[in-house]
Parts: sequence; structure tokens; C-alpha cells
Amino acid sequence: MIRLERATKEVRMKGVRKMIIDDVTVTFPRGKSIGLLGRNGAGKSTLLQIIAGTLELDRGRIIRQGKISWPLGFQGSFQGNLSGEQNVRFVARIYGVDTDELVAYVAEFAELGQFYHAPVRTYSSGMKARLAFGVSMGINFDYYLVDEITAVGDTNFKRKSQQTFKEKLSNSDVIMVSHSTGTLRDYCQTGIVLENGQMTYYDDINEAIAVHESNMKRH
Amino acid sequence: MNYLMTHIRIVTAFVIREIATRYGRSPGGYVWALLEPVAFIGLMSLLLGSLGRLPALGTSFTLFYATGYLAFSMYKNMEGYLASAVSGNKALMSYPKVSPFDAVAGRFILQAMTSCVVAFVILYAATWTTNQPITIQWNYIVEATAFAWIMALGVALGNTVLFFKFPLYQKIFDIVMRPLFLLSGVFYVPSHMPHPFSDILLANPITQVVVLFREGFYVQHGDTGLDMPFLITTSAGLLFVGMLLFTVFPVARARE
Repeated sequence: MIRLERATKEVRMKGVRKMIIDDVTVTFPRGKSIGLLGRNGAGKSTLLQIIAGTLELDRGRIIRQGKISWPLGFQGSFQGNLSGEQNVRFVARIYGVDTDELVAYVAEFAELGQFYHAPVRTYSSGMKARLAFGVSMGINFDYYLVDEITAVGDTNFKRKSQQTFKEKLSNSDVIMVSHSTGTLRDYCQTGIVLENGQMTYYDDINEAIAVHESNMKRH
Repeated sequence: MNYLMTHIRIVTAFVIREIATRYGRSPGGYVWALLEPVAFIGLMSLLLGSLGRLPALGTSFTLFYATGYLAFSMYKNMEGYLASAVSGNKALMSYPKVSPFDAVAGRFILQAMTSCVVAFVILYAATWTTNQPITIQWNYIVEATAFAWIMALGVALGNTVLFFKFPLYQKIFDIVMRPLFLLSGVFYVPSHMPHPFSDILLANPITQVVVLFREGFYVQHGDTGLDMPFLITTSAGLLFVGMLLFTVFPVARARE
């Protein structure tokens, strides 16, 4: 379960202030995947960072029960001079999982062949994405955070990653930001609409999508 | 307890990562952390020693210069390395588990270990360059090192915030700190300087670190200008202010 209690967050970008959430209390129940909807710039990604714990709230508090992932497919942490394998080892150490096990899992999953032992700076963007996705799949989380799922690799790899991720979701939940309502329907059962600093929870993702779409028509 | 174990694990991961990445693509990798200062001090003492005059203390210019330079680098190298710990590892702060202080702690531990090995190697070699018997008093050396590291940690933590908030301040800090090496008593004895220069030099806490460090190697008669209460209050004050700034302004995760 993740719960926001009277949470307030305002961001300042180049002098412009924007209220992302204003005194919001909401519960994300465990066992259901949630789609986050809202117009461009409403603060969906900021909200994901708050849930992850990489951004602090201005006021209020957040209660997290369960292991929460970093944004799925995040590759900013890869050090170009380290090999893919060394980068994987680092993540394994941070998360306290067996390093050899994770290294072996990602080796098989990402299909990098000899490149696995070469510096990441020599990777193509597709290889980097495969490595990142492999690491995300190699660690078990209770919640996976997804900011715009992007399919990587060729058709076979896409099918494989989709299948692996769906399998993960039998034990884990996903909190997903996406502009594609099809993707949201595919992965999520419930939804939250973020509008004017307020978050509204809907038991049914279709209802959340309908509300979001009527919001978009109003302006 | 669990929380503590997690952070010990993360800091360890940082130490391993820094060893692999600090010297980037240069062949030899981390060996340069040792070779660089050894080569520099060796070269400097050869150059200065060849001038043929006696140092201000003892009979070996190499030992005199090495003690001063090492004491100074205990502060300077630590401060420089720690100041970029957060900005240099910013991407890793996207892992919810990693806290900015983990990056600082990892670099602190690595730099502390490196400095100790470097100091041992150089000082051991330097003691062979003098024909006088040396009585090493470890308590002074350990104390001087501790003060240097505490001040470096305080300054670096504070600068992590200030450099981020005021980029101009970073430029000014770099310029103002450049003569620090000349003003820290590395190749002279501050108390031998004429009044009022000696007092000015001794008001620099890094000079005090150098003076204290040398107490561990040289038996000196008369006033060395060492001011322990000043050193203690300055170190504690810098650490306190640095930690305060670092805690109050969570810049590591601010959006740019």
C-alpha cells in the first residue's frame, strides 16, 4: 500500500511556480495496477518521483509499504566506462540482491553477447535500453513505476519483454504514466486522474480514462 | 539496524564503483591515485633539494616538504573530491534507495584509505633521506589528519549546496582558494616568519593542520604557534555549518 496524507508539492522551474498536488490524501491499494492520467505538465512524472522517494514533499507525508522500483528502463545511471556487467553489479549491490544471480539473469535476458563485458559507451541505444530493461526485470519489486513504457529491441525481444513484465505483474503492481489509453487499459485496472492539484481515484481504469478525456475537452 | 545495513551496503557499492571509474580510461586505473602524489612529491623535493640549502626543520628537505605537502593534501584532496561527490553521481540519485550522503560517505572512505596509503609510502621513504634519528609521535599525526578531514567534509558538504545554488560563488571560491597552498606553511615554518605575517598565516586553520602534523616528526623548541582550541572550534564549526546546509537544502534531488 502507498498512501499520501495531506500531501502538498509545488515545483519551481525557472521562476515559474506550479502546484502539483495541493493537500491531497489518497491511497494506492496493493494488488491493483494503477494508471496515472493528467494533461501535459500536470505533474505526473513529478508524482512518480514523489512515490519513488527521489523527490520530497513540501508538506504532508507519504507512507510506503513494499519495495518500489526506480522508473522502469532507467538508464541514466549507467557509467560509460564500466561494462554492462559492472553496472549491473552496482545495482545489485545497492538493492542487496545476489550479484552473480542478477548478472547471469541480465546476461541471458538482454542478449548482449560479448558486448556485456565491453564498456557501456560502446553500446547502441537499443543495447543500452535492453540492458536497462533487463536490470529492471531482474529485481523483484512490489511496485513497478513506469513513465511512458517504450518498447525496445526487435519483434522477438519486444514479445519477450512484454511477456516477462506481464508475468511479473501477477505478483507486483504497476503505477504507470502513459498518454496511450490502450496501454493503460492493457496494464492497469484502476486509475487516478491528476487535475488542478487534486488526485481522484477511480476503481475502474475505463472510468478514469473517460473523466480524463472529458477534462481534456473542457479546455 | 536494517536501515544501517542498507546504507553500509550502498556505501560499499559506491567505493567499488569509484575505484573503477575515478581514473576513467587511463591505463592503470586507480594506481594513479598513489602514483600521482608520490611522483609529485618526489619531483618537488628533488628540485628543491638540489638547491642545496637546509630546510627550516631537520636536515632533509624531502622529509620537510613531504610532511607539509601531505598534511595539506589531507585537507585539499579530500575537499576537492567530496565537493563533486553529489554532482558527479547525480544520475544515481534516481535510485530511490540511494541517498546523496551515500555518495559523500563512499568518497570519504575511499579518499581516507588512499591518503593513508600514500602518506605511509611517502613518509616511510622520506625517513631514509635524513641521517638524524626521528621519533615519530603518532598522536599528532592522527590528530592533524582528523582535523583536516573534518574540515574538508564540512566545507565540501556546504559547497555542495552553495555551488549548486550560486554558480558564481564556485568560480570565486576556486580563485580565492588557489593561493591556499602558498599560505599554509607547506615549505616554510610559519612561526619563523616575521611578525605580523606569522600571525596572519597561523590564523589559517590549514596552516594549523600542517604545524600539528609536523609536530609528529620534529621536536621543536619554542612556540610553534599551534593553537588547538582554534583548530577544534574551526573544525567543529565548519562541520556543523556544512551538515546544516546539506540537510536543510536537498539540492541533490532538485530539478534543474
